[in-house]
Amino acid sequence: MAIRILTDQAPVQTPMVSKRSGIAGTLASALLSNRKALAGAAVLAAFTLIAIFAPVISPYDPHALQFEPILGPSRAHLLGTTGNGQDIFSQLMWSTRESLLLAVVAGIMATVIAVVVGVSAAYLGGLWDHVLNLVTDVFLVIPTLPLMIVVAAYAASGGVAVLIAVIVITGWSYGARQLRSQALSLRNREFLEAARVRGERSLYIILFEVLPNMTSLIVAIFLGAALYAVLAAAGLQFIGLGDTNALSWGTMLYWAQANGALLAGSPLWVLAPGICIALLGAAFALLNYAFDEIANPALRPVRRKRWS
Amino acid sequence: MSYIARRLEFFVITVWAALTINFILPRIMPGNPGQAMLVRFHGRVSPQTIKALEVAFGINNNESIFQQYFEYLGNTLRGDFGTSLTFFPAPVGDIVKQGLPWTLGLVGMATIIAFALGTLIGMLSAWRRGGFLDAILPPAFIVISAFPYFWLGLLVLLVFAITLGWFPLGFAYDLSSSINLSWDFAGQVAWHGFLPALTIVITSIGGWILTMRNTMITTLAEDYVKMARAKGLSPVRIMFMYAGRNAILPNLTGFAMSLGFVISGAILVEIVFNYPGVGFTLLQAVHSEDFALMQTLFLLITIAVLVAVLAADFLTAWLDPRTREQA
Amino acid sequence: MRRHRRVGLLATLAALALFGSACGTSSNNNGNQPAIGGTLTIDNESGALWQCDFNPYNGSVNGQSFGVLYEPLVYDNLLNDKKTNWLASDYTWSSDSKTLTFTIRSGVKWTDGQPFSADDVVFSFNLIKQHSELDLQSVWQVLDSVTKDSSGKVVMTFKQSAVPNFYQIAGQTAIVPQHIWSAFKDPVSQVVKDPVGTGPFTMSQCTGQNITFTRNPNYWQTGLPRLQTVTYPAFLDNDPANAFLATGQAQWGGQFIPNIDTYYVARDPQNNKYWFPPINNINIWFNTTIAPFNNKAVRQAIAYSIDRDSVSKKGEYGYEPPGNQTGVLSPTFDSWIDKAQADKYGYKFDPTKAAALLQQAGYTKGSSGIYQDASGKKLSFTIIDIAGYTDWVASVQVIQDNLKQVGIELKAQNLESNAYFDKLFTGNFQLAYGSLDTSPGPTPYYELRNTLHSGTTAPIGQTAAGDYGRYKNPAVDTLFDQFGATTDSAKQHDLIKQVEAIMLEDVPVIPVTEGVAWYQYSTKDFAGWPTPADPYAAPAPWNLPDWEVTLLHVYKKS
Repeated sequence: MAIRILTDQAPVQTPMVSKRSGIAGTLASALLSNRKALAGAAVLAAFTLIAIFAPVISPYDPHALQFEPILGPSRAHLLGTTGNGQDIFSQLMWSTRESLLLAVVAGIMATVIAVVVGVSAAYLGGLWDHVLNLVTDVFLVIPTLPLMIVVAAYAASGGVAVLIAVIVITGWSYGARQLRSQALSLRNREFLEAARVRGERSLYIILFEVLPNMTSLIVAIFLGAALYAVLAAAGLQFIGLGDTNALSWGTMLYWAQANGALLAGSPLWVLAPGICIALLGAAFALLNYAFDEIANPALRPVRRKRWS
Repeated sequence: MSYIARRLEFFVITVWAALTINFILPRIMPGNPGQAMLVRFHGRVSPQTIKALEVAFGINNNESIFQQYFEYLGNTLRGDFGTSLTFFPAPVGDIVKQGLPWTLGLVGMATIIAFALGTLIGMLSAWRRGGFLDAILPPAFIVISAFPYFWLGLLVLLVFAITLGWFPLGFAYDLSSSINLSWDFAGQVAWHGFLPALTIVITSIGGWILTMRNTMITTLAEDYVKMARAKGLSPVRIMFMYAGRNAILPNLTGFAMSLGFVISGAILVEIVFNYPGVGFTLLQAVHSEDFALMQTLFLLITIAVLVAVLAADFLTAWLDPRTREQA
Repeated sequence: MRRHRRVGLLATLAALALFGSACGTSSNNNGNQPAIGGTLTIDNESGALWQCDFNPYNGSVNGQSFGVLYEPLVYDNLLNDKKTNWLASDYTWSSDSKTLTFTIRSGVKWTDGQPFSADDVVFSFNLIKQHSELDLQSVWQVLDSVTKDSSGKVVMTFKQSAVPNFYQIAGQTAIVPQHIWSAFKDPVSQVVKDPVGTGPFTMSQCTGQNITFTRNPNYWQTGLPRLQTVTYPAFLDNDPANAFLATGQAQWGGQFIPNIDTYYVARDPQNNKYWFPPINNINIWFNTTIAPFNNKAVRQAIAYSIDRDSVSKKGEYGYEPPGNQTGVLSPTFDSWIDKAQADKYGYKFDPTKAAALLQQAGYTKGSSGIYQDASGKKLSFTIIDIAGYTDWVASVQVIQDNLKQVGIELKAQNLESNAYFDKLFTGNFQLAYGSLDTSPGPTPYYELRNTLHSGTTAPIGQTAAGDYGRYKNPAVDTLFDQFGATTDSAKQHDLIKQVEAIMLEDVPVIPVTEGVAWYQYSTKDFAGWPTPADPYAAPAPWNLPDWEVTLLHVYKKS
């Protein structure tokens, strides 16, 4: 579980974007100029390719128990075989699909809830703000893993959908808090005043004036939520919640641990999926960090001039 | 509303929410497994216990949902958390009390260490922006913080406890000891807690470094810091007494709120390290599908975190008057 | 975690009244030339912190008290039915096998110094009669009365002849002190913090993470035990327990260790040893009330479609040996197996034979490669299984693979244990993978009876204590009833052979692998361990009360 520290101060000197078409361009160029972001994006792209081409890359059926158990790494089995005689490399490739999908879907869903709650709270104000803020705080402080474990234990046979639901329920509040702070600080900006004076409806203002100006924060929140989803899913699957017959990195770790892989002579069975989880998580974390820098120019790295 | 009243409202609402989640979950989940659990109880416990379990799990609904709800709230507030299937006849509350101090101790120590170290590193790297420390440590810890706690724990255990044998393989203190107040015992606790705490510290420190670095950067741009520099005060003094002190305050709230996250990670670490805290018990409850125990653990962990949050909140408010005035 | 030791879950199921027997000679083991000392550490996944409750009648905690603290009347070895008089110094059956008389050993003292007597025995049995929750072995299903006669002997009368129930009554029921237990208001929920027993050890310290047992210097077997201290740490999970054992911090293990030769033995090949004697069968249960499992040919065909060796090797690392269709454990109960009959059927992975059987029964292979009946209904089934038992899940995967090669489709439904047992007990399944009790009893009779006797079953929808497949065969019932009424060993063997014939021909269940008593031990500092050559006790620390006997034999090497 990644730790995320919440401070109330809003990192808000958002670059103002006047036209929607400019957002993508602004973000892309910011990304390209940030080395951390580049590294993160590259890893993410690599995993996406692996997920798409898993059937092509994998030499064997990941489920088939067709080999000798606990073979060491060899040309036939790059990472050896599991205690039940499955090819670890094939399992690892196939697992990328569920792990990546889970991170992205849960990340998007949590972000959507965060945006709705956070922006509504800030924009509606008054009692609404108080209540929504309280709900957000409650979800922030409730220890997520025990809650997830209880829910997942009840819905034991639910598979990926349950995992995603559980992660979303426990994962949106952090983003909502940040978005509220930023939306609050935007509320009284001149361009919003102008829109109000023009007589635009609230929904229009939120969708076309407020949100575009929060794009980089929203992206950062998505990345944070995706990171959270990666680690939360791994934790839940590791203790055997969710469908243990499905292929994902967390489930691989569950099986590896159930077979004492580290000490029983197949350490790669534990190391490989763990490293994949860490890499995917790090990719999201690096991108998140980069977007923090983009959202808050004060944090951008100071570089010594090299060319002049 | 006064600051204290607002925090108490938050406390009460959160406890109520946790209770209500506990009440609702067994009722909305398909194929209520509480039913199957109850079957295993029959013949072992008194009719009153069965009744309480039925209320908790929403079985045999002769009563209206509201009646059940208030009955459930009443039972819980009286401290009657139900009966554990696994640990019969020990009441659930006793089992949780056995593990909770260990978890809180471990998480508390590890979090304080991570907070202190992380804040210091964050402060230094903001002070020397773009310097060596700033170039290496923050990105490195961002990557490390993406590691699953339990996975790192497995590796740490393998290397330092199993292969090198420097640290014990598990437990909170030596097997031959019983809990007592002595330096020897304290030493054992530190010894046994070292690896789990280390795991928590290195996976959570990145967050503190980053947050402190970011607030510190903002603070360094403030006028009073510029003023202090202009006056020619020693850099160390400016860093700690002017910028650092003010940058740390907003983080304290974050410190409290993050406990919920840390305790979640700690649960998995305990399992890896055979550490006798609540994480250990929670997993046991999951495996034996002991829902009464599971839900009580969830509730009591929530309350423990809340108390810590409130404590940190009031501490911050005492240290920093601005917090009290904020909306 | 995942690989739970499969004990506790079934403990809540009231064990059935069982029938049958054998007479044993009684001898005491006289440990002498003792160098008393040493601290032995038991390494056994307990799945929880200790509750420090030493109530031997509470199924969830009796593993820490029954044996070393509280003892039975007679020790009956689970592996070979060898009986040794324990708190009873002698016993006799009446000629109609309906009255059992125990002579109680004199000179035994409780650990608080009070003398032990026949009154304690009578009290204990009547206590569990009054509180049926405490009657873990359901002995009062066959007992009629337990009293003391004028000569001070304990006389038990039975409702029916119940010779095999001797194992539960004399061997599996703990005797507690009347002078302490009579004061307990509610013995069912009584937490016993300071146990007083007759056993070789006393409980000297208990924390959530460890129990320390210390030698009882006044133990009635003079000179025993030779161990000064036994420590029993609590492990939630197999992994830390295994690591503890592998690093030599514990000497006596009782759980599954993956790849044990690398994990454990290789770390000290001289001293680290293991022995896994089979103690129960892990079966495929047919729901015999539904088609096509009410068809013997289909059951036989499936039995010929399973590669038991492969299941054992890939699902169980080869530690749980392949089962055999007689249902009699090998090698544990080899003397009971009718090898000639078993060879005649020759059940092994034989797709040709399976195909022939299916075709004779009117099945044809469809275009999908799956057999179907005349109406086009495919041989496609669902098997239930416990998700948490990773070895079973893997075993079922191998079975799926086997059946697919023959032309039968099998789908696995991996359930949480509560849901699984609910379905298994109520007969709400097509096929089920699983076993009866972990330690059924010291002869094949116990497990086979509980598997096949229609008296143990219940209609679909109601909870059955055994015979989950709802198999009904009056012939087999009669065989078991005859077994229960005789003390003649030759006759008993003959009866079991007739049961085996039915198992082979009728295939009411398919024993796929044999569950074992997991047992690892280190001879580095301690000697006297049970071995295949000297199986004086079932060797796992969770074999009750056998672990007491092991701890009486083991001693510190000087």
